[in-house]
Amino acid sequence: MIHVENLSKSFFDLRRGDVLALDHVSFDVAPGEIFGLLGPNGAGKTTCLRMLSTVLKPTGGRAEIAGFDVATQPEQVRSHIGFMSNNTGIYDRMTAWEFVQYYGRLYGMPEDVLTPRLEQIFQRLQMNDFRDVLGSKMSTGMKQKVSIARTIVHDPPVMIFDEPTSGLDVLVARAVVQTVDSLKSQGKCIIFSTHIMREVEKLCDRVAIIHRGKILAMGTLPELADRYNQPDVEELFFDLIQAHDESYRQTTS
Amino acid sequence: MNWKNVKLVFLREVRDQLRDRRTLFMVAVLPLLLYPALGVGMTYMTVNFSEQERTVMILGAKDLPPPPLLDPQKPDRFLPEYFSAASDANKLRVITESNLGQPIEPGISPDVHEAEQDFLKQAVEYRGTLEQLGVLSRSRAAAEEKSVRLSYAGPEKKAELDACVASVAELKHQESELKAKVDLWFSNAPVQVMIVVPTGFATKLEEANRQLANRTGNEVQVDDMPRPMILQNSADEKSQLASRRIREALTKWEDHLRAARLEQAGLPSSLSSPVDLTSVDVAAKDDLSANLWSKLFPALLVMMGVTGAFYPAVDLGAGEKERGTMETLLISPARRSEIVMGKFMTVMVFSLSTALLNMLSMGMTGQHVLSMAGSGGMGAVSFPSAVSLMWVIFLAFPLSALFSATSLALAMFASSSKEGQYYLTPLLMVTMGLTMFCLSPAIEIQPYYSILPVAGPALLLKALLGSGASLSELSVYFLPVIGSSIFYSIVALNWAISLFDREEVLFSQAERFDLGLWIKHILRDKDPVPSRTEAAICFAMIVLTQFAALSSMKPDLGGDSQARNFTMLMWQTVYLIVTVGLPPVLMAILLTSSVRRTLKLFWPRWQYLLLGFVLPVVLQPIAVELIHQLDWFFPKLPAEMAEFMKSLSDPNVDWWWPLLAIAVAPAVCEELAFRGFLLSGFQSGRQRSFWTPILLSAVCFGVVHMIAHQVFNAMLLGIVLGLLAVRSRSLVPGVIFHFIFNGMQVLQTRIPKTVFESREMQWLFSVESEAGQTAIRFNAPLLAISGLLSLGLITWLVRAPIDADPEGPQRRFSDLPPMNSDTLTLPENDPRWDQMRANAARGHNSI
Repeated sequence: MIHVENLSKSFFDLRRGDVLALDHVSFDVAPGEIFGLLGPNGAGKTTCLRMLSTVLKPTGGRAEIAGFDVATQPEQVRSHIGFMSNNTGIYDRMTAWEFVQYYGRLYGMPEDVLTPRLEQIFQRLQMNDFRDVLGSKMSTGMKQKVSIARTIVHDPPVMIFDEPTSGLDVLVARAVVQTVDSLKSQGKCIIFSTHIMREVEKLCDRVAIIHRGKILAMGTLPELADRYNQPDVEELFFDLIQAHDESYRQTTS
Repeated sequence: MNWKNVKLVFLREVRDQLRDRRTLFMVAVLPLLLYPALGVGMTYMTVNFSEQERTVMILGAKDLPPPPLLDPQKPDRFLPEYFSAASDANKLRVITESNLGQPIEPGISPDVHEAEQDFLKQAVEYRGTLEQLGVLSRSRAAAEEKSVRLSYAGPEKKAELDACVASVAELKHQESELKAKVDLWFSNAPVQVMIVVPTGFATKLEEANRQLANRTGNEVQVDDMPRPMILQNSADEKSQLASRRIREALTKWEDHLRAARLEQAGLPSSLSSPVDLTSVDVAAKDDLSANLWSKLFPALLVMMGVTGAFYPAVDLGAGEKERGTMETLLISPARRSEIVMGKFMTVMVFSLSTALLNMLSMGMTGQHVLSMAGSGGMGAVSFPSAVSLMWVIFLAFPLSALFSATSLALAMFASSSKEGQYYLTPLLMVTMGLTMFCLSPAIEIQPYYSILPVAGPALLLKALLGSGASLSELSVYFLPVIGSSIFYSIVALNWAISLFDREEVLFSQAERFDLGLWIKHILRDKDPVPSRTEAAICFAMIVLTQFAALSSMKPDLGGDSQARNFTMLMWQTVYLIVTVGLPPVLMAILLTSSVRRTLKLFWPRWQYLLLGFVLPVVLQPIAVELIHQLDWFFPKLPAEMAEFMKSLSDPNVDWWWPLLAIAVAPAVCEELAFRGFLLSGFQSGRQRSFWTPILLSAVCFGVVHMIAHQVFNAMLLGIVLGLLAVRSRSLVPGVIFHFIFNGMQVLQTRIPKTVFESREMQWLFSVESEAGQTAIRFNAPLLAISGLLSLGLITWLVRAPIDADPEGPQRRFSDLPPMNSDTLTLPENDPRWDQMRANAARGHNSI
């Protein structure tokens, strides 16, 4: 469903010149699978996911989503994904209902499909009590729910979650994690990026540890524990990053 | 483009803006409240501040001759019939000696009364001095006039003149002494103006009239009798205003006196005005108001169109980026062009409604205020007719479209709302400048102006609302005005859409700007060819140095015309080298790593070289003819400019000088700049397109020519030259082309006209004389040959295979093999690269 091959991205920065934010990253994600992208802040997770959602253009390599190339068929790719980030991107002067409806319409859903779908989503996410609340009046938890509703309104086969729980309190974060889990059981192909180990353990079938734009290790959690002889995910993560930083320091000194 | 998505975005944005209190306030509430509030304010001001009464003192009122100057019923007022607006009489209060010792009048405070009484007393004592000042002033003025007259008379009156000048000086001295005294006293006076009537003025005047009637004027000098004097303080506005009113009344009063005198003398009443001009104003009432509205409406439409577009645009562009909703929107299936179009339509709706509401509100308020003002002379201005309003609405569309597209692009470019707001001022300044240009009565719509942005619609609106031209005359402008506006809007919209594709703009973060770092970067990370930005900067440099050098465009030149024209040519050469030639060369050395590549200093293949020789000859007839045919399109050249152009082709100067100034210097300098640095810069970058760099450089090439004819001509030639440079990857064919093209025009003026008029040449050329200038025109056979050949050659050029790059494909830093580090500033062949790659690979596997 998701096929990523040598995906690279470089940015230009005045201080540092050209910076490689993502360096030849390759992975595949199958339907019904949650693929975790685990990495510290600034590892390149968001850059990678933005390229998958066609907002950024790759400077090298390729990626396919549901059989469509992100560089050459961006419209088709976008209509097959649902993307959600910690930045909820909710309009201040729109109610929850209007917001989700707006995106449903942008996805080209006919009204007779959209309305029942909205009712269903609002029911399931328990959003009916703030259906007519403006974005500016919503709490963070409400916003996050609206954001989830927006992500799933067109029932996309592929979903991308970019640190969806960061900045949320435990209750809301738990609700988000549960929603993602239930989406998996519907057979969705999901990428879940985070820097929180607990979520990885709970959700992800496979995980890629990403640091400084590179995938350091990839596999199911037991596989990784086996390969590196480290049953604790957090320790494993820490070891990998430290080892990488070590070799990096050697090369630059 | 999926219009369903456009509609969705549009409807959402409109709803969003309508829910925004600030926008609603700006668009709807402000205009509806502002103008009525201003109107009320103005009315309030006129009612409360202009009705102030001023006091005038007439010293010696008893000596005033009939008819009465003052109202017999109300002795403290002038007669109202002496004022053009009768109510003005009430704005002046008159006191005379008869007020002395009178009780307080109603409405006058005791303090003022006391001060006036004191002043009256002093004035009566002072009367002698004041009269003396009057006499002195008068004789001084007479003496001055005499000295001026004498100074024209010639040397025989020298002695008389000297005596007169001496007496003027003496009188002046006496007068200023006296004046200083009076000034000290008058500056504290409780009256604003004082009239001093000399003792016995009435009787003396009567005597003079009688003598005139009896024609015995030689005995009594009519001119020498003392006259009344008006004393005012010009530095004091109150005094000035009052004195202006009094003069109006006194002039009318004097007319009566003059009529009486003439009648008494048995002379016709028209004696004192031999010419007596009759003026007839043919302007109808409607025309007057049309004149006012034709100035006001275009200006207001432009101003309000910009303001109305800008604030929503900033909110829709930079604001959306800032709030983080843009990214979400970009992930939706809506294309970027659809999003921009939806937003553009929203901005345009608000721009239009702001402009129209403002105009409506201002028109209504203005009308109301003016009708209240009544007889003030402006009362004749009526609200514009429904037809004019229709034109306003019609032309509001192209203007709003242009402003909306531009504002939206600027707002997209800004990374935050705050940054967006900063762009408003420059935008406003530019549009204001264009509006000012349009408001000038000397500027009228004309084919070339009609295709200018902003100015075109504004001038057309001015012409439509004015009373000068008929609709059928103006109808030819509709298409160019609307068409060009649509074109400019599309360009701006395309810019906005392309900004969406630029990630650094879309995700720009507030980065601390460090000038030192930036300069270091430019000098350190040199690419072989300049970037687009550097090309744009180079163009700006050229324009700015030209502007700076422009003030010396007319050096102070003495001598005969030949020497002057020679200096002009030399100067033109230096000017070109400094302003056009130097910037690209310096920038290429400083900013690029390969001057050769940047300036295209390669030897071309022989085909292109040949083309450089042949194409200008072939193109010349058709290019010249095109300009002749399009002469009507451009504004007429100012006389000085035409003179300057003529001086460049003065046949008396040796032929090689003009060849140097007009052919060699431009060929080298302009090619270095426009086909060298600029074209290379525009060609660089990730998105390589074939035509865009050529067109961009051609437009730049046109713009520096400034004169409308040449701008157009240069743009067309710029396309051919750009094509030649891109295809041949060399500057040489362009330089040859440019030299031959310009050189032919120089030499053409040197060849005797008879050559063209000879029998063998007649079917090719014809010589035309117009306004003392002869021009060689090309006849149809030659034009046909020229057209066909040019078409063939240019087609070949467009289709020619792309030559291999003489230095291999460009290497840019972004093309370097990616690494897992951010130290990509290492040169590519640095041995450390291999080591780093190895380390990275090992690191990956060992964990």
